[in-house]
Amino acid sequence: MPQADSPPTEQPHRFQKRGFSGEKAIKFFFASNAGLTIVILALIIIFLLKEGLGFFPGYQRELQVYRIAGLEFVDISRKNLTAHEQLTSVLNRAYYAEINGKCAHQMRRSQEASALFNAYTDQTGPTRDLVISNSQAEITPNPEMLAALRANFDKQKLKALASLPATPHLTANERRDLIESIRTRAIDSTDDPALVTALAEEFAAAREKQAEPLQAMRATIDTFEAAGSELSSLVSEMTESVTATKEKIQNADILEKDRKTLLAAAASAKDPAEREKLTTEAHASLADKPDVEGPIQVLLERRPDCIKTHAALQQAAAGIGSQLPAALSQPEAARLLKVARNTWPLFIADLAKTHEEINDWKHDTPVPLTTAISSFLTGKDWVTGGEWQDFYGILPLAIGSLMISIVALIIAIPSGIGAAVYVNQFASSREQALVKPVIEFIQAIPSVVLGFIGILVFGTVLRDLSMLDSLQWIPGFPIEERLNIFTAGCLLALMSIPTIFSLAEDAINNVPSAYAEASEALGASRVQTTFRVIIPAAFSGILAAILLGFGRVIGETMVVLLVAGNRIKIPDFTSGLGTFFQPAHTLTGIIAQELGEVPLGSVHYRALFVVGILLFTVVLAINATAHRFVNKMKH
Amino acid sequence: MFDPEKLIRKGLPKGHFKDLVVRSLLGGTTYFVVIIAALLFGKILIDGAPVLFKAEAPFVDFEFLTSKNQTLHVFDDAQGTRHQLPASEYSAYLAKHEGVPIHNEQTYSYSGGGIAGPIAGTALLTLGSMILALFFGVSAAIYLSEYAKQSPFIHAVRLAILNLAGIPSIVFGLFGFSVFVLAVPVITATPSDRSLLTLPLFIGDYVMSFQGWNSSLMAGCATLACMILPVIITASEESLRAVPQGFRDASLAMGATRWQTIRKCVLPFSLPGILTSSLLAITRVAGETAPIMFTAAVAAKDDLPWQGLKSPFDVLSSQVQALPYHIYTLAARIPSSEFTQRAQYGSVFVFLLLVATLSLGSMILRAKLRAKLKW
Amino acid sequence: MVSMNTAIQIKNLSFAYNSKQVLHAVSMDIPARQVTAFIGPSGCGKSTLLRCFNRINDRIPGAHLTGGSILVHDIDINRRDIDLQELRRRIGMVFQKYNPFAKSIYDNVAFSLRVAGPTKRDELDDIVENALRSAALWDEVKDRLHASAFGLSGGQQQRLCIARAIANQPEILLMDEPCAALDPQATLKIEELIRELKKQYTIVIVTHNMAQATRCSDQTAFMYLGKLVEFGPTMQIFENPKDPQTEAYITGTFG
Repeated sequence: MPQADSPPTEQPHRFQKRGFSGEKAIKFFFASNAGLTIVILALIIIFLLKEGLGFFPGYQRELQVYRIAGLEFVDISRKNLTAHEQLTSVLNRAYYAEINGKCAHQMRRSQEASALFNAYTDQTGPTRDLVISNSQAEITPNPEMLAALRANFDKQKLKALASLPATPHLTANERRDLIESIRTRAIDSTDDPALVTALAEEFAAAREKQAEPLQAMRATIDTFEAAGSELSSLVSEMTESVTATKEKIQNADILEKDRKTLLAAAASAKDPAEREKLTTEAHASLADKPDVEGPIQVLLERRPDCIKTHAALQQAAAGIGSQLPAALSQPEAARLLKVARNTWPLFIADLAKTHEEINDWKHDTPVPLTTAISSFLTGKDWVTGGEWQDFYGILPLAIGSLMISIVALIIAIPSGIGAAVYVNQFASSREQALVKPVIEFIQAIPSVVLGFIGILVFGTVLRDLSMLDSLQWIPGFPIEERLNIFTAGCLLALMSIPTIFSLAEDAINNVPSAYAEASEALGASRVQTTFRVIIPAAFSGILAAILLGFGRVIGETMVVLLVAGNRIKIPDFTSGLGTFFQPAHTLTGIIAQELGEVPLGSVHYRALFVVGILLFTVVLAINATAHRFVNKMKH
Repeated sequence: MFDPEKLIRKGLPKGHFKDLVVRSLLGGTTYFVVIIAALLFGKILIDGAPVLFKAEAPFVDFEFLTSKNQTLHVFDDAQGTRHQLPASEYSAYLAKHEGVPIHNEQTYSYSGGGIAGPIAGTALLTLGSMILALFFGVSAAIYLSEYAKQSPFIHAVRLAILNLAGIPSIVFGLFGFSVFVLAVPVITATPSDRSLLTLPLFIGDYVMSFQGWNSSLMAGCATLACMILPVIITASEESLRAVPQGFRDASLAMGATRWQTIRKCVLPFSLPGILTSSLLAITRVAGETAPIMFTAAVAAKDDLPWQGLKSPFDVLSSQVQALPYHIYTLAARIPSSEFTQRAQYGSVFVFLLLVATLSLGSMILRAKLRAKLKW
Repeated sequence: MVSMNTAIQIKNLSFAYNSKQVLHAVSMDIPARQVTAFIGPSGCGKSTLLRCFNRINDRIPGAHLTGGSILVHDIDINRRDIDLQELRRRIGMVFQKYNPFAKSIYDNVAFSLRVAGPTKRDELDDIVENALRSAALWDEVKDRLHASAFGLSGGQQQRLCIARAIANQPEILLMDEPCAALDPQATLKIEELIRELKKQYTIVIVTHNMAQATRCSDQTAFMYLGKLVEFGPTMQIFENPKDPQTEAYITGTFG
């Protein structure tokens, strides 16, 4: 049976696929597109790390130079000088707050009168100047043109008079007279209206009168201010010498870097002649090691000087502290005085410690990498592009971000969840059809538009509100800055309300209707059902909504960049709740503001990437927690 | 044992007052949000609408939409008449009235002319990024919904999508800057100094240099596409999954291949859903500022994106103005005054109108879709 | 005047969801301290009728009475000034799918008392214990009263729902297919419980399962297409139906 012996032919069954199939290729194509998401995420992480990680060694070197050159030494004294200046400023503010508070009435009247007059001159000024310059005798005036100009001026005048600001503290008669005097004043008159002058004088007189009983305080403040002058001149002298040293070291660093680049180029150059040339160049540019020992020794010789000055200041401060007035009558003044009294012992204690600090300071202790890391994470200063020393401490930024988020969440959580509960549980279907699209629309509004609204509309409204006499009981009112933590927080709240609303509404909606039915069948009212059954059942979903809202708020850039006020400083917490009306800067805002201006690869550039890494980590952690809650709800 | 009279309540129901308080508190909160939103947008509407619309036919002031953005010059002529002219008309005016002095001249950056440049730039950015995101996003969604089985790969993809969706936009800005602006490969004969790596291509002097695309339309589109990708994938997957399983089973049972099934029986039915959710994605892409600040946008540019180019492809490698960035510039860099308001409120109004139209469109389409497609 | 033995008196009740009429002039007197079963094919309106008794249908948008009335102790429960919460406390309800709240066993049972007003802790403890004992669940859960209700088996969860419904000592207990989601073992246990409970409560039960109706009901109502076709003692309905439709249904010719 020859056929049986022959090997069976490799004939695949008709259903079996052969070779490489197009289907497989298509599947592979789609799979690789899905894999793209992983690639992008990986690229984000890799490139953030690539640009960011170089920051710490770079910052370490900067801090090392800061120490070697002696800047750190000078900063020991400077710290006290700054404290002295701040204390002086607080005292001065208290002094003026007391006086101005006592003659608040005269101050307002004077301010309102001049504001009214200024509003008029602002509007008519340009035309007025034109009329005057054209009617001067030197140039032959063109009567026709002059007439036209005058008519123009009269028109502007009428318009300006029609839109004068309100003057709540002037009597109706005074206002009428003032407007009348403006109306009738000669076009070339340079005097202020009589009432404006009179009120200004009245105010000045009132101030003088009120200053009388405070003479002792004035003298105390002046003595205290003078006590700092010696330290001040000492610091500025030392500043000059250490800056020069620092510059020398930095130049040497740059030369060294160039040399390394040249050597690297030489190593990779193919042409031997070229390599030879580059190597010679590199060797030629070998930097002289800058002399740091000399200047630092000169600096250290001033130690006794420093200690003596500090001791003198300490003695003076201790004496003056007891001479401060016991109490002031105006609330703001009293608050500031209390702040001064509270900081006084701290100031003196710091001065007392300075002695040791100065003696213990060594210019040759190396700065470890951990110091760079910890001074990044816990540093209180973010100072860049300065002449003195750059510091990259994210505390002011992180605190700004956090405070803005707190304000936003305090507003957004109750309103977002309240609205979600209302819409889902109590609203009629017609109400739902109104509220849901509006909130959905808020979600679609680009953040830059919200920022714009904050700058041009909301900030101004808030500041005007804060000027109202009837609202002065609110801490922090009247606000000094239109753009502040509170303004930014309000807008971010508006932005996160849709997120919180829609997620919370989903969570409530996902509670099985059997729960509500059972609860009502047991005799619970609608409100009882909502609060005792539905909300507890949706709780983890609602928590996730809050967290995702928080993630959105903390990662938001444009609103805070435009509206937070962008002052890189830890807010002054002594003003209690008023702290929330101070400007701040944020983690996101700093990247947006500074990335465009920094040199590529510089320490500053890398610092911004580290801030980015931090943001990335924080937001991902928040979102991961939120998703854990969501999953918990599903099961 | 049970008093039937108890069933009839005397006066108001028990707890009526409490109910009322709770309901009105919750309702009050809700309408507070709605009213605040209405007030803010009312203000923009009132101040912005006059820039775009006018009382007489054709009611729309196309000049604001179609003219280039310029510096605004405000000055008085010798007669004391105040003029507000954008830079080009200003120089024409000076040329015409040579020797006649002008007074009180003030200039306001970005406040003159119209917003043709920013509109064109945003349109290009949106178009480019949506093309990229839709292509990759829908493909990825097809894999997730049609091919994927439980596997570590799928798990990783889902995790990546979830995480990408949460990344703050400014981090995408950093990413786009460090990758697309500074690191992606280009083919050039003259590699830059900061190239990360150059690979020889053996074609003339050309090398592949990893030096990035600089700040350009291309880099901006790529960054925005990465940002919006998770949104597109999620929405597309949802639309694909909404197609009943029976459609696929029927098609496969008749001997169609997987790809034929997807092409003929799944994609056509999910396409309306995908496109609807893309409209919402467009509003997000068009509105983002942080990712394009360092990757594509420029505050001032004399030409429209397609003008003054050597080759049409150069449009991809040049910077563009963009509407959100323009608004940022107007809000942050110039002080507000009566002369800048036209530009400020006008731009924001146009932008809001655009966003509102898109999101309204997507809402209506979605409602229609729901009514139409009920399997 | 109705005899004292009538718990619920239904007069010409018509009911609609939006424009869809689901009950057509149903009239019947449900006797007290007995088990009345509603049977009939799906969509015949038996559940809707049951849900009219405690007005839980009010929750459904568009559901409304189109005529007739339901009297409990001669009081029309659709009166405007009825105390709805009190009514529902007097008429308990158990649902098709067991639905304990995401709370502890104790809190589930105490729920109806807590929403009715503040109750003393030890009083509450007693009531919870009694309710759980009545529902034959006490022995199984007494050691884990404060554990989540979701840890119980399906049958236990349904008995917990019964305990929850009787904690307030209602007069009438409505059961909407209480065993539909349970296995036969758990079903038997519930049926046993029903027979026990009828000593104290008037029970109205909707069921698909005719064997169940014969096992535990005293009266049976057969409904078809929103109309009450036949109502009488269970024995009579199953052994000697008067209406040909009833006969067709119980012999399994349709439905």
